[in-house]
Amino acid sequence: MSVLDRKLLRDFWALRGQVLTIALLIGAGVAVLVMSVSSFLSLRAAQQSFYAESRFAEVFAEVKRAPRTLLARVAEIPGVAVVEGRVGGEARVDWPGAEVPVAGRVLSLPVSGEQPALNRLRLLAGRLPEPSRHDEAAIHAAFAEAWRMRPGDEVAVILNGRRERFRIVGIAHSPEFVFTSRPGSPLPDDRGFVVLWANEEAVARAFDMQGAFTEAVLTLAPGASEAAVIAELDRVLLPWGGRGAYGRRDQPSHRFLEDELAEQRTLAVTVPLVFFGIAAFLLNVVLGRMVEAQRDQIAALKALGYPPFPIATHYAKFVAAICLLGSALGIAAGAWMGAGMLGNYRPFFRFPELPYLLPVWLPLLAAVASFAVALLGVLAALRRILRLPAAEGLRPARPSAFVGGAAGDVGRRLGARARIPLRGLLGRPLRTLLTVFGIALAVPMVVLGLFWWDAMDSMVELQFDRIERGDAFVALTDPRPARAVREMARLPGVLAAEGQRIVPVRIRAAQRSRLLAVTGLPAGAELRVPRDADLRPVPIPRDGIALSRRLAERLGVRAGDIVQVEVLEGARRVHDLPVAALVEDIIGFTALMEIGALNRLMREDDLVSHVALRVDPLAAEALWRHLAERPRVAATNVKAVWLRVFDEVIAGLVLTSAVTLTCFGIIIAVGVVYNSARVALQERGWEMASLRVLGFTRREVARILLAELAVAVLVAVPLGLVLAQWFVGLILGARDNESFDVPPAISTATFATAALVVLGAALASAVVVRRRIDRLDLVAALKARD
Amino acid sequence: MLRRTPMTTASDAAPPAGKTEATGAPPVFVARGLCKSYGSGDATVHALRDLDLDILQGEFVVLLGPSGSGKSTLLNILGGLDAPTSGRAAWRDHELTGADEAALTAYRRDHVGFVFQFYNLIPSLTARENVELVAEIARDPMRPEEALALVGLSHRLDHFPGQLSGGEQQRVAVARAIVKRPDALLCDEPTGALDVETGKLVLSAIARANREVGATTVVITHNAAIAGMADRVLRMGGGRIVATERNARRLAPEELVW
Ligand SMILES: Nc1ncnc2c1ncn2[C@@H]1O[C@H](COP(=O)(O)OP(=O)(O)OP(=O)(O)O)[C@@H](O)[C@H]1O
Ligand SMILES: [Mg+2]
Repeated sequence: MSVLDRKLLRDFWALRGQVLTIALLIGAGVAVLVMSVSSFLSLRAAQQSFYAESRFAEVFAEVKRAPRTLLARVAEIPGVAVVEGRVGGEARVDWPGAEVPVAGRVLSLPVSGEQPALNRLRLLAGRLPEPSRHDEAAIHAAFAEAWRMRPGDEVAVILNGRRERFRIVGIAHSPEFVFTSRPGSPLPDDRGFVVLWANEEAVARAFDMQGAFTEAVLTLAPGASEAAVIAELDRVLLPWGGRGAYGRRDQPSHRFLEDELAEQRTLAVTVPLVFFGIAAFLLNVVLGRMVEAQRDQIAALKALGYPPFPIATHYAKFVAAICLLGSALGIAAGAWMGAGMLGNYRPFFRFPELPYLLPVWLPLLAAVASFAVALLGVLAALRRILRLPAAEGLRPARPSAFVGGAAGDVGRRLGARARIPLRGLLGRPLRTLLTVFGIALAVPMVVLGLFWWDAMDSMVELQFDRIERGDAFVALTDPRPARAVREMARLPGVLAAEGQRIVPVRIRAAQRSRLLAVTGLPAGAELRVPRDADLRPVPIPRDGIALSRRLAERLGVRAGDIVQVEVLEGARRVHDLPVAALVEDIIGFTALMEIGALNRLMREDDLVSHVALRVDPLAAEALWRHLAERPRVAATNVKAVWLRVFDEVIAGLVLTSAVTLTCFGIIIAVGVVYNSARVALQERGWEMASLRVLGFTRREVARILLAELAVAVLVAVPLGLVLAQWFVGLILGARDNESFDVPPAISTATFATAALVVLGAALASAVVVRRRIDRLDLVAALKARD
Repeated sequence: MLRRTPMTTASDAAPPAGKTEATGAPPVFVARGLCKSYGSGDATVHALRDLDLDILQGEFVVLLGPSGSGKSTLLNILGGLDAPTSGRAAWRDHELTGADEAALTAYRRDHVGFVFQFYNLIPSLTARENVELVAEIARDPMRPEEALALVGLSHRLDHFPGQLSGGEQQRVAVARAIVKRPDALLCDEPTGALDVETGKLVLSAIARANREVGATTVVITHNAAIAGMADRVLRMGGGRIVATERNARRLAPEELVW
């Protein structure tokens, strides 16, 4: 080991506190990088291999009823590679354990008994139904696992109002249902939502669709234009009640997965930069100080004929060693967090396999990235080493020249003791600024961690206290006369019932278009209350359509503009409607009309397709059981169940991220405050020891030294709170997630906690440094500087 | 002129070498059997060996001796910065040995003024503010301007240390030491980093403080010429006081020949 390397080790040990805190910052950056990139890659790999293996379709279309012979015409559309027709329908499963009716879908499998050409199933257990058996079905793994089902179990399924029994022969994953949730819910509810696959004949018979199909799925030939195929497909299907074809982008499972992948990508880029940036700044200060203190040694080495380059390399090695330590910690933590993240994903995303992938280049990349940023931070210090003239070191140490300037005039009226920290702050404005900014960045970290609780609270508040005021929401198998609402209102336990009509539409504004559902509400509806941005109830417009603000933004329209509404049910007419009002929503995109106006648009009578209920809690359970039995009920969504699922699924995730981000915030605050205090002590230890000799007490000296940091912290915390608000807005704004919106509401408690965490971390760091101040060697201070 | 007294060695003299015969003024510093050693075993360094010393009220004492003879160690113990390994040291009725950190801090704060070889000024404070800093924590200080006038620096009040010469900085340090009207003024090589003329300015500032504030003064130096300023000159060697000289007349710094 060379002598310089031995010096390196001693420096490393002497500065271990600083080395460790900076390594932790680098480690946090590396950890986030490794975690988010590895979980991104793992998800992406699982997605790609599953999609490829199962031949996931690229275009999807639903139609009311089309003859199978039409499929040949679809196959002829230029750009279509493979097309497959199938029958799909709503299924309700009467499952004894479920407290509320289980909603679901049933899909047909080819008559041949073979795997479908597209969207093949991956069987985890059992087999596909025999072609001759109409009472066999495969079931989606999510529901099967939630209820511990095995091949051989039986289920009672209500199809089209008729009760049938199926024997489960296989448990399967499907690329269409990687993410499954009840329609309209952004969260999976494995116990309350089911997908079944049965023989085509069985499904067709249940829905009276013999010789017909209701869904076409297809893949595109290489180089084909999706938009062109969709347009042509729509044209072909239109006479048969086509509901508008869509690409993968609008396929619910795929879109949810893509939204999540996009969030991981954002995380992978932004958060590590914050950590590396702060680490680079601290390394700059710490190494700058080290070079300053060892200036004479460097000069002496140079004077002795040592070439400058190995000397600079020596210091670069010091930085590299810190990065190496940080990277090692970060890679271990990142791999652990990444694997944990994937564990969190498993209940959300149902892949046959979701192995954790950590490619070898990733840790290397993370380590190199951290080193590159760190080197950038210490460039100035290294340059100083290369340029330092040898003669410098042979001159006696001079006390650092403070010649006042603007900072000199400050604090004339304050006592001499207060002037020292004040001039310290103002004498090095850039360093002060970066210190304040660095500490301030700890606040948004903690806020971002805690904020999700607020967000979830306000999401639930807005969606379920203010807007959806009913206790349950019943979907009917098909639109019924308004009398159905009155019938339901008379059921025992029902306190109030309101009918709604929900119709699929495509809304166009200029070049943009969206597929969504328009909800028709009775004027004065009480169980569903649309609200404006100030949460005031918005009266349901008599003419025109009320759009969700988020949707209006995406369509680029404002209140008063005209949008084109193409009804994708019944007689598929196109209407121009004025946007009458903008309303708030959280989940999905809302479009509202007065129910009478909507029915007139459809040229239909007073029909309802859904019923919102207010329910007596004491009679609720009996009511759910009764609704499960009722023939015309397709599904019942119960608010209380939804809220419980929400809590179960989200609470764990939010807690994990809150703990992680709070730790990160603490790492930042401690890193900046501890290092600033240590460097201040290194730079001014001699001054402080002199003061001690002059009779200043330990407390007085500590106050003088730490006052500078106290001021920095006190400025940083409010700044951090402002930054936090801004960051949250920024992150939520950048979050292009259509599945659900996160309101940027941060509670006072979150702000207060974040401020206290950062103040606490700063205080703890100060206490550690204070102990060093107490141990200042007075006699040594008198011998010479440094 | 120096009046030389016969040299006595600390080991065989009946009265301890540093002790004076009764001359009216009471002793303020009393040291008995002071020992200070560093390390252990073969590597033990004895900085002070069984040293006895009395210093009288208002006396001006110069400590001479080769490097490593224990001068700074002795001064630091008297100033309450360091503790002896054994023996005792006291300032009037304050026992310095065995006192805790807080008591020693209070002792330094209330009674002692220090001047060091490297000035030890706060670079971010002006001359006036450096002096004011100590005045702020003193019981009955002079005005900082007054202290700076005593060392002849009335015209440099608002300069930062970086804008002052070494001699000026050292005079600021003297002003800072005397602003609290200390009972004892302890100076460790105050002219060590200065040239002759500047050194004389600093010494006269110290002498003036000794006279006008009445502070008992101990000055360490390598420069035997300075000894002429003292009431008494103590020569140290090997951790002991090896000789004591008494001057009949104290020379003014201007009269010293370097
Ligand atoms: N911290 C220490 N550790 C070990 N030995 C020490 C320490 N401090 C002082 N010494 C030793 O104690 C002895 C006396 O030191 P001291 O500083 O009192 O000498 P001095 O007379 O002031 O010398 P100089 O004129 O060079 O300042 C020396 O031999 C020195 O090496
Ligand atoms: Mg000395």
